[in-house]
Amino acid sequence: MNTLGKNKLEEHDLVAALKAQSRIGAEALYSMYSGSLLGIIKRVITDDEIAEDVLQEGLVKIWNSIQHYDASKGRLFTWMCNVVRNLSIDKVRSKDFRNHSKNQDLENHVNTIDIQRNTEYKPEHLGLKDLLTKLKPDQQIIVDKIYFQGYTHVEVSEELAIPLGTVKTRLRMGIIELRKYFK
Amino acid sequence: MENIKEYIESGVLELYVIGDLSNEERLQVEQMASLYPEITAELLEIEMAMERVAFNLALAPSDSQKTKFINALSFVDDVAEAPKATVEAKVVPMVNNKNLNFYKYSFAACLALLFASVVAIINLNSNLNNYKQQVAQLQSSNQNFANQVNFLDKQIAIGNQTIGIYSNPDNKLISLAGTPNSPDSKILIAFNAKEQKVSIDLKSMKIPVTDAEHQYQLWALVDGVPVDLGVFDAEGNGAGFKAMKSIGKAQAFAVTLEPKGGSVNPTLDQMVVMGAI
Repeated sequence: MNTLGKNKLEEHDLVAALKAQSRIGAEALYSMYSGSLLGIIKRVITDDEIAEDVLQEGLVKIWNSIQHYDASKGRLFTWMCNVVRNLSIDKVRSKDFRNHSKNQDLENHVNTIDIQRNTEYKPEHLGLKDLLTKLKPDQQIIVDKIYFQGYTHVEVSEELAIPLGTVKTRLRMGIIELRKYFK
Repeated sequence: MENIKEYIESGVLELYVIGDLSNEERLQVEQMASLYPEITAELLEIEMAMERVAFNLALAPSDSQKTKFINALSFVDDVAEAPKATVEAKVVPMVNNKNLNFYKYSFAACLALLFASVVAIINLNSNLNNYKQQVAQLQSSNQNFANQVNFLDKQIAIGNQTIGIYSNPDNKLISLAGTPNSPDSKILIAFNAKEQKVSIDLKSMKIPVTDAEHQYQLWALVDGVPVDLGVFDAEGNGAGFKAMKSIGKAQAFAVTLEPKGGSVNPTLDQMVVMGAI
């Protein structure tokens, strides 16, 4: 993030370039953030193809609605992250996606289901695992579900049968841990 | 200050960053942030942390994805920043014009060719008609010529036959004179006793023309008995000799007028010519 290559801009310049709808802005947006955003999307949608479709949709949406981004209310990435995460969750909850999942023949999709249920060894998630193992297990699950899988804290609270306040605290403690890790 | 610390520790700021707050709660956080720099700083810290986490979890999209993305957008600065595109934009209509011109000229050329072809066809057609007429004329003159040749051939053949008969010393020429029935009639007969041949000279023959139901019949008198030598017609402009039936000897020849096809016995009162050897 700190190394600014050919296609990289300071956040301030990037926002300006995007708002000006310039080609260099689009190029920089893609090369700086497409990977990170796809990483977020893939936590919610395991299917590569659908994930990339959502990435495309998300990037276009970012491009088109950049005028709504208010730098005073937070960093660009936070905003973009929320845009694509919301898109991903909408996608997962859409009728289309559910039908798609339902219509899969069970026997023929053992592997798919394994992947969807994360029972498979996934080298690309080693980083996350490493990262999350820095956390206590009760923080781990909450950070993963809320930050990466798009659960609301209310949903997590219901699913894990823990009070909302506890969810908030554990999420906070987890993120503080991660902050330390990246310092 | 205690309150602020408590507020920070409540975990609401994390939820704010993640976007997991209601509008009301969000506005509240923003209000707090505008009042307390500590909260703004804390928010930034959280954002940076999440950003780093995401950066560490980045997955490279497939190669085609970037093109797909860039192509889906339209750029305000494209015209100014990409002179190449401008040049291309100029080139395209020129190519089109060229094509258009090409088609124009092609069309004109086609029309000219069509016109020239029509003229040529009319020309050729009139020539063809001329030639057809000439061919017809040549054919008819050729036919005439062939007819003439045939006629001359025939004449020559007849002449040769006549010469053959006259030049043969074995031939006796017997002149049959007209009877009272037809005093002006006369017929010349060539009789070759050796070859048993009897011929009538058609050229010198002079007898009345018969009707369709009658023919002349030649008879030979052999020892007083008339022998049929065949029938013939009175041809107005005949030429050459007509060969009749064979006979070895005869004392006299006579011609009678008989019903068509001839009779077994001569009708003596219809005798037109007669002559003895």
